[in-house]
Amino acid sequence: MATYKVVADNIAGKNPGDSITDEELEGTNIAALLESGHITKTTSKKEAE
Amino acid sequence: MAIFVLKNASVTINSVDLSAYVTSVTVDYKVDAVESTAMGASGHSFTGGLQSNTITVNLNQDFAATKTEATIFPLVGTTTTVVVKSDSGAVSATNPSYTIAGTYLEGSQPVAGAVGDLAAMALTFNGGTMTKATS
Repeated sequence: MATYKVVADNIAGKNPGDSITDEELEGTNIAALLESGHITKTTSKKEAE
Repeated sequence: MAIFVLKNASVTINSVDLSAYVTSVTVDYKVDAVESTAMGASGHSFTGGLQSNTITVNLNQDFAATKTEATIFPLVGTTTTVVVKSDSGAVSATNPSYTIAGTYLEGSQPVAGAVGDLAAMALTFNGGTMTKATS
């Protein structure tokens, strides 16, 4: 399950700084949200190692 | 709930609430009429086929980060989910939400208008499957 950090102030039901998962974004074009800067991908410790 | 004037519709495109930029929205919910007329019939008969939905949205343009243009530009040529409510309040029997999943955006107009006009863009989302929620 991928997790993202909300950057924008207009993601429905979220505030900037909140986390949002790909499950919550089901049906959403995540690539477009990343490209437009609404969310950023968070790196887990496991991924960073 | 009585008749009402549309003043505060809610439009969420790709999980982004763009309601503050929307000047008009139309949700056109249709199901194809598939002809099923057979020999012996005295008139045409039809059965319901696939949904054939269209959402048209007019928005004021804003090139600021994460606003209108930044949200829409990467969606062109892709499918997404659009959620529309007649009022921004909670979903209820008198304020149902219409969710159209897998709807396709063929194009946008990043720049449109004549001298003196307010910069705006008109979007048409085609296809997808609609569900209605009342709670």
